[in-house]
Amino acid sequence: MSSLKRVWKFISSMKFAILLLAVLSLACAAGSFVTQGQTYEWYARQTSERTAALILALGLDDAFHSAWFLVITGFLCLNLLLCNVLRLPPLIRRTAAAGAPPRTLNAPFDARVDALSDPESLFGKLRMPAPKRSTDDMGREVLFASKHRAGLWGAWVCHLGILLLILGFALGQATREQYTVYGVPGDVRPIGDTGYMLVIDDFRIGLRADDTVEQYTADITVYDMNADGAPSRSATISVNNPATLYGMKFFQNSTGWAATVRVLKSGEEIQREVVCAGDYLTVKDNADLVVCLNAFYPDYVFTPGVGPSTASGKLDNPAYLYSVYYQERMLGMNALMEGEELTIDDYTVTFSDPQSYTLIQVKRDRFTWLALAGGLIVLAGLALALYAPTARVWAIRDANGAWTAFGACPKGGALFRERFQRAAQAKEDTTDASS
Amino acid sequence: MLRVENTLFTVVMLAYFAAMILYFVFIAVKKDGLAKAAMLLQAGGLLLHTAALVCRGVGAGRLPLTNQYEFATAFAWGLSLVSLVFVVRFRFPVLGAFAAPVVFLVIGYAAMQSREVRELMPALRSNWLGFHVSTAIIAYGAFGVSFVLGIIFLLRERMAAGGFLDHHIPGREKLDMIAYRSVSLGLLFLTFTILTGAIWAERAWGSYWSWDPKETWSLVTWIIYANYLHLRIRKGWAGRAAAIFAVAGFVCVLFTYVGVNTLLPGVHSYA
Repeated sequence: MSSLKRVWKFISSMKFAILLLAVLSLACAAGSFVTQGQTYEWYARQTSERTAALILALGLDDAFHSAWFLVITGFLCLNLLLCNVLRLPPLIRRTAAAGAPPRTLNAPFDARVDALSDPESLFGKLRMPAPKRSTDDMGREVLFASKHRAGLWGAWVCHLGILLLILGFALGQATREQYTVYGVPGDVRPIGDTGYMLVIDDFRIGLRADDTVEQYTADITVYDMNADGAPSRSATISVNNPATLYGMKFFQNSTGWAATVRVLKSGEEIQREVVCAGDYLTVKDNADLVVCLNAFYPDYVFTPGVGPSTASGKLDNPAYLYSVYYQERMLGMNALMEGEELTIDDYTVTFSDPQSYTLIQVKRDRFTWLALAGGLIVLAGLALALYAPTARVWAIRDANGAWTAFGACPKGGALFRERFQRAAQAKEDTTDASS
Repeated sequence: MLRVENTLFTVVMLAYFAAMILYFVFIAVKKDGLAKAAMLLQAGGLLLHTAALVCRGVGAGRLPLTNQYEFATAFAWGLSLVSLVFVVRFRFPVLGAFAAPVVFLVIGYAAMQSREVRELMPALRSNWLGFHVSTAIIAYGAFGVSFVLGIIFLLRERMAAGGFLDHHIPGREKLDMIAYRSVSLGLLFLTFTILTGAIWAERAWGSYWSWDPKETWSLVTWIIYANYLHLRIRKGWAGRAAAIFAVAGFVCVLFTYVGVNTLLPGVHSYA
């Protein structure tokens, strides 16, 4: 056999599949232990510079999208595909053969009982379909039944499902459009570069009597700016209840705090904007000056050594953590209480009206259905492979009129043999007792 | 209702403990009648356990499957149920004797968790919760039984032939088949768990798979048991090697359940 053929045979072998599955499980485990998507500095801080360098060199910072992970998955797909293609013709032959009595005298069997007087009841006890009567090449009378022939296809169907699942996932990852839109009621925001605009009509946080959050709900309207007259569609979304508008799915993803930032110059208001925590505000008439609302604390507490935090979710002692930049250099960072002012030369900045903003995730994945179909096919395949073991039972009558019964159930093993013997034994015992 | 649940939980722990002792005594004094008594006690404990879960659900006004305590007690319930079914189905009381300490350990772990009833965060308020977690309970229970069968298989190799245990433990081939049955049950239900979890994640977070540590370790567990099934049909791998795999697989299940929650926080951190 040439080396190329040997490699080809190995790639399509079960040995290679087992090896790939083992490597894949190790790769997944490794990826789960390393926090994904961080920088060298972050890893160095958490571990050591040497470990950080190793993590980046091995691509463990983005393990599930790394080249080596994709190569392993690619080989697994190739192995599954080859396995299914190569197994198809013998599988069709085996399925056909399983529906007919064995043609040879030395057909393989897992269980055998001799000298049976009433073989038909054995089929019933083994919950086999009613046997078909025929005559073999030697003129002997033969009873035969088979069940769960579809079970032969279980592994094949399962492999097909895995392939479709991986294909659906890969296509979805490659073509998926995903945007994040956030704001407070009344905000109008573009949805990426899709040409659609999203208006946040309302955002409500449903609280229980004990002040825990029951649900986040947003009313949204989407305008199609590409079409004449900019038609719109509206929906209400909440956690676990997304909506589909214009082929995009809208998810109520999370929430945070926003505040109204006022900028005054020489005592006169020149700017007023709602800014979400984490966002920057460039001063209108001075692009070099930027204010950032870093965080908002509804019930502000400062603990030395720990830093700022909030004692509760109630607006009992609101504080705004801000930072100021001039020509991209940070001038300072501090917390302002409600009503306090920040003065930078001629400018005065105030923060007020804290309110919740909503973060809406917008997604378009045209292949989710394929991944779902793949998952369901995997499930069906497993059910067939594990819970529909193909079984064949046949009985042959010899010249003296005595029957010999055989059973074949490759996946039944010792349990099938035991059941077969018990069923045959029970019948013979009953016969003995009645006679 | 929650007070009733508390009382029932204590009674269930005692019932499982007593069943475990009875199973041990059955092996020590070699009387089959004691095995029957242990099985009845375990079945009684299981009924009360079911009642305790129902009381918890009624008292909390939701499915009792959302925090460490609730999942641990449900896990013990699943393990007890699957082991009892296997004990009865395969007439194998020694399996009960080996499974009872595992059930007791899991319910003991539950007893160490906070029993406070908390309201559900919005992401957990979904009908998928019931499908997702209940299938996980059966899967984990079945894998627990395969772990116990793996241990029995490995111990059986050292047992003297003709002894009491030798008569009460099936032969190697049958033992391997019973373990295969429990892994089959577990893998089928784990697939349900992953699938329902993915559908739910798609609705709640907009992504059916995001390589969250819990998701990743569920996949690792799935792969390990898938490998178990492949290895078993290879010559020389059924039996001892498969038993070792079944034991290792359950260690992975425990890590997915306890280890991931405590060591690798992700979106499942509340579980």
